[in-house]
Amino acid sequence: MKKMLATLLTATMLFGLTACGTTAPAADTNTPAEDTAAVVEDAGSDTTDAVTETTTADSDEPVTLRMAWWGSQTRHDITVEVIEMYEKEHPNVKIEYEFYDFDSYFTKLKTLVASDQVWDIFQLGGNFPEYIDKIYYMNEFIDSGVVDTSKISNAYLKITQDTDGNQIGLSNGLNTYGIAYDVDMFNEAGVALPTENWTWDDFEKAALTIAEKTGHFGSSGFTSSEFIAGCSTFIGQQGKVGEYGFFNLDLTGMGFTDAQMLTPYIEMRANLIKNGASPDAGAEMEITNIENDFLVTGEAAMTWVAVNQFPTIYDICAQEGRHLALATVPRVKADGPAGSVIQSSQMLCVSQDSQYKEEAAKFISWFQNSTDCNNVLKGERGIPINDDVRKALEAEATDGQKIMYDYVSLVGTFETPEKINVLSPAGQDEVVDNYRNYIQQVVSGEITASEAADKTYADAEKLFK
Amino acid sequence: MSKNTEKTSVISRFLNKDQTVGNIFAFPFIFGFVCFSFIPIITSFYYAFTDYSMGSKTATYIGAANFIKLLHDEIFIKSLGITLKYVLISVPLKLAFALLIAFVLTRKSRMVTVYRSLYYVPSLVGGSVAVALVWKQLFARKGLFNSVLAGLGLSTVNWFGDTKLALYPLILMTVWQFGSSMIIFAAGLKEIPTMYYEAARIDGAGAWQMFKSITIPCLSPIILYNLVMQTIQAFMAFTQAFVITGGGPNNGTMMYALNVYNQAFKYNHMGYACAMSWFMLVVMSIITLMIFKSSKFWVFGEGDDE
Repeated sequence: MKKMLATLLTATMLFGLTACGTTAPAADTNTPAEDTAAVVEDAGSDTTDAVTETTTADSDEPVTLRMAWWGSQTRHDITVEVIEMYEKEHPNVKIEYEFYDFDSYFTKLKTLVASDQVWDIFQLGGNFPEYIDKIYYMNEFIDSGVVDTSKISNAYLKITQDTDGNQIGLSNGLNTYGIAYDVDMFNEAGVALPTENWTWDDFEKAALTIAEKTGHFGSSGFTSSEFIAGCSTFIGQQGKVGEYGFFNLDLTGMGFTDAQMLTPYIEMRANLIKNGASPDAGAEMEITNIENDFLVTGEAAMTWVAVNQFPTIYDICAQEGRHLALATVPRVKADGPAGSVIQSSQMLCVSQDSQYKEEAAKFISWFQNSTDCNNVLKGERGIPINDDVRKALEAEATDGQKIMYDYVSLVGTFETPEKINVLSPAGQDEVVDNYRNYIQQVVSGEITASEAADKTYADAEKLFK
Repeated sequence: MSKNTEKTSVISRFLNKDQTVGNIFAFPFIFGFVCFSFIPIITSFYYAFTDYSMGSKTATYIGAANFIKLLHDEIFIKSLGITLKYVLISVPLKLAFALLIAFVLTRKSRMVTVYRSLYYVPSLVGGSVAVALVWKQLFARKGLFNSVLAGLGLSTVNWFGDTKLALYPLILMTVWQFGSSMIIFAAGLKEIPTMYYEAARIDGAGAWQMFKSITIPCLSPIILYNLVMQTIQAFMAFTQAFVITGGGPNNGTMMYALNVYNQAFKYNHMGYACAMSWFMLVVMSIITLMIFKSSKFWVFGEGDDE
């Protein structure tokens, strides 16, 4: 009898376990999220299976969309806020969101690609070619009017189209790279402020002098975006405008042939670390996002930013009474090409795996075009591409945002090549990690800068073999 | 009616069988093992001979190419060396520490249980990300350890910025989690008959002599067990390197498991990562086998004639 009881109990327990495992989300109605900071973790695994296959959802039918993005805490807060706004306006739509830092986002995305469960709405940058199979082009939604592009100029639509004219996504905003710097720290060290055509030599001297005079880092950590913002820009700045690029225009090979063109840049990077003017690998690990960058914590005079990040850190520093400004990316020669271009910061895409592609597209359209929505977002993802939205935001821009707008128009005046490639090929992550290691090896004297250049070139070349 | 009773009795007889009960209780484990261990292990063996990546989702058979590539992979060779170094330093230190504390705590005192529980706590929380983050702060440039050093008037140490030093805080973190080995040692120490010690004391043996000639030999089967378990665990170390150093500086803390993770999930070379895992399985098997083979020279069983 006892044994029998035990068996029954076990069976009940097992049944309980399986019952917990399968929730029935299809009948879920819209419930406002209780905690704005809460992450809906792994929401995907059980929802998609249970929802029936319908691409054109009835307007009253309950729809659950999954969305994810990467970014800073500010971005998480405001994005959650607009998601709740959208849910209030569309009571049948429930959006389950997840947010990550940049690296974790792509790790998660890769596992979702493998299991065909990519979020309905997801964020991508210039690295989209790696995920092109998972992107549902937006052309049909634009043709049918689901996505409203009446206030978006063609030029801005083009920055997120592929070479065949397919609309990959809608750009969240215009963006370009720059160097944010602490004006007071420059003055304290007696270093002249950057001009709009300052050179890498000026940059290096400024960083070294500041480190020597103030004991702080001249330039903060070169995070992973530095590979594109610094190293690959360095190639584009050599020769005539548009003569070289790191990768070629159709992303099928390298855009330059002499690996030694990289050497001076790698040498400069290593030199800064060696002299304590830039953090070493250990210190760099302490930077987890732009909000605790050494520039923001007052331990560095400069840092690399994608300019959409600037207003956030400007505000944080302003509260402490410090003044930040934006400088252009230094050039190889003061009268040579700037190498900087205005590009899409990142975009929202509709996923191939989505059950509700049209609903996803509707949300993206609202996200880009609604003035209410963008009054909350405030161009944190880049300068909006919708003309009305941009005018509305420019009218009430904060100081930090004004600096960003001015900076983007300044970069817009630089001479740029007719065609340019701002995309990254699949597998670039490994090249970037190796490149950063080579620099550390140059610092420790294991290899020379010229060897590091050769190795980086060989690694990058291998991507196309 | 009688048929019905017969039926119930058949069912109840089936349910009352020892085998049925056993299988039902074992089912959750068997289910988990088959789905989340056995099947992945078999598929990973297949993928090790393909160029499978999670992005493309196509797996083409490429023979032993992945294994040949391993031999020319600088980072792979470096990570193998670092992991061996990590195992060789951390395991003996951890066992020695666990044995020492276990030995001290065999004294008859009312507080012993409290102390044992306290020393066990790091093992409970040790593998977690939270502790790794605390560790990162402790050894940071302006962390606790450097503050103490600076307070004593010494120069601060750049723990995670120096390729040669970065591994040691990670080793220290592992050694700190000596609790589970300690509990096993403590149980083993209790099993040693006190008459051995009494006899030795009468013969005039010192504390060190007793430890060397009675405690260690009597404890040797347990030392073997702990050695094998801890060695295997150390080879699989991942969290510390992933959270604290990310493998840097200059791949100075690139543990084997972290390298596998990077290749699989970050660089999209799942097939290559599978090959690496199987290589590690072979290495670990050989080392475990060597430990077992060597055990006949230093492990004393109760039934031995010696």
